[in-house]
Amino acid sequence: MAKSPCTHGQAPCFDQNYHLDRGDVEGSAGLTRRVRGVAQKENAVSKRWKEPAHILGVGCTRFGNLLETPELAGLGLQELAAMAAKEALADAGMGPQDVDAVFVGNVTMQTSQMPATYSQLANWLGTRFKAGVHFDAACSTTNVGATMAAMGVASGAYDRVLVVGLESTQSQPDGLSPYARTTIPTEEMWLWTDQCVNKAYSVPQGYDIFPTYNAFVAQGYCRKYGVSLEDLDRGLFELCRTRRLHGAMNPKAIRQQTLEDEAKAMGFDDPWAFWTSRYNPHVAWPSRLYSVVTPADGASAMVIGRGDEAVAGASAPVELKGFGVSVMDLPWYDDDPTVMPIDKESFSKAYTMAGIQPGDIDYLHTHDCSHIMSICSAEASGFLPEGQGLAYAREGRLRFDGDRPMSTHGGRHAFGHAWAASAGSDTYEAVKQIRGQAGPRQMPKAPKTAVIHTHGYAMISTVLVLQGGN
Amino acid sequence: MADSTVKKYYDGLAQGKLLGKKCNKCGGVTFPPTTACNECGSYEQDWTELSGRGRLLFLSHGIAPPPNPRFNDLAPYGYGHVKLEEGVYVQAIITGVDISPDALRKHFEAGPSPVIPDILDVEGLPVLAFKAG
Repeated sequence: MAKSPCTHGQAPCFDQNYHLDRGDVEGSAGLTRRVRGVAQKENAVSKRWKEPAHILGVGCTRFGNLLETPELAGLGLQELAAMAAKEALADAGMGPQDVDAVFVGNVTMQTSQMPATYSQLANWLGTRFKAGVHFDAACSTTNVGATMAAMGVASGAYDRVLVVGLESTQSQPDGLSPYARTTIPTEEMWLWTDQCVNKAYSVPQGYDIFPTYNAFVAQGYCRKYGVSLEDLDRGLFELCRTRRLHGAMNPKAIRQQTLEDEAKAMGFDDPWAFWTSRYNPHVAWPSRLYSVVTPADGASAMVIGRGDEAVAGASAPVELKGFGVSVMDLPWYDDDPTVMPIDKESFSKAYTMAGIQPGDIDYLHTHDCSHIMSICSAEASGFLPEGQGLAYAREGRLRFDGDRPMSTHGGRHAFGHAWAASAGSDTYEAVKQIRGQAGPRQMPKAPKTAVIHTHGYAMISTVLVLQGGN
Repeated sequence: MADSTVKKYYDGLAQGKLLGKKCNKCGGVTFPPTTACNECGSYEQDWTELSGRGRLLFLSHGIAPPPNPRFNDLAPYGYGHVKLEEGVYVQAIITGVDISPDALRKHFEAGPSPVIPDILDVEGLPVLAFKAG
């Protein structure tokens, strides 16, 4: 398999297809070779935009629980979606009737019970008479929506498109009540979510995300790079500390308490002792509870347009330079769980389209429902050297003020994860960082190039390349 | 009534058989079976029976209670990443293993081990699990 970066050219090259086409590398046994033919075909359409597409405005609610979180308690999903849309439109300096189309994403219909989601929301968003559709790309939804919106803009069909993602993972309508909601048992929420994966053979046969997306990846990482299980645990502890630090600086995060403060509140002076206590059990050995997703309710939105209009009161547009999407169902990896071929594909496509190299990236988010998988994806992106991600975490280099800043909103664990809305929350953070609007967690030097990677369950590897003008 | 690929797979399991598809174009094996070859995307496939022999590459466990209530009595269960000798990968319940952290660490340190199918009847549905072979 092509290692990243390769050494064939003057600059590091991450275009694995280039090497496969040339025949100067071979895919390792299994998946990489298997996707080769498809990859070549898909790459043929990974070209430049005919016209530039920009993110004109972004919005995001606090992520939390519609039954408990002060800013959200009592709201319905319609109001949650409208809250995110209102912020995005204001950020773009426009109103809802200024857009030509609305793309609305929602994944777990069991918790929304709103089929035909867009037409139901039009009256709440103020977008009556506008074109629109409900779509679903699981946890990549909002960013896949951004790519579709950008295609609409770059083609000339639309001037401006509003993308909205909304999700509740914590509650469902209470019977047929129009407003009352009731908690979903955790395992039932996972059942509905796991049905995003191979319906015929996965859930019916005992499939479980925690070993598949966490434990095997962690074990594979240790085996591949000779990392001890103790160093794995310590590295994931430090990564969690970093993400929780970011969450503590973000008023929209579901968890706004540092890991150290939580440990103290639970009676532990030493946060490591808390980390290894019964309060942080193995969800799937060796992966612990605090290295995984915190399910949440939330909504996000963005306005995509050409970016060539001067709009009074609008924030600076951020260019969507390129994207890559690659999809497969189980199995996501072969002998080596640290490498998903779809990630190599999506990063390569996005970089080629945007005309960037990994060395250009100033800020990165990788999907971090599983902290160890997010490290593997960051290494696949070229932003972190292979086998070094956990060491970087231990050295604090992934913090907002480090030299490899990642997931400064707090990521899936600290910011929280509201399936269809989350990719938009990642893009929201990147846009805020690029503009220098990220408040206390602002990177000391605002990034010019940001890359956002998400895994839509399962599995839709999606990469956006964003660039600001500074 | 048309043949259901999924039902044929489960009927095969109930008889102790692991049924997949073999591609007429590239020879690739798709397991579990679908309507398209996992290797090249071709729809031109025939049924094939897999040996079931494989190697357990990684072993951990799932959560309890499990997502699927069918497995309430089994959870928490061992769960593994298995490579079958035909070159395909499958993740499945692993039976007869101790899933305490100490035991899983020993298993990890020992490395991959051979497994064979252990087809379970779980509330009336045949389920492909594996055990030490």
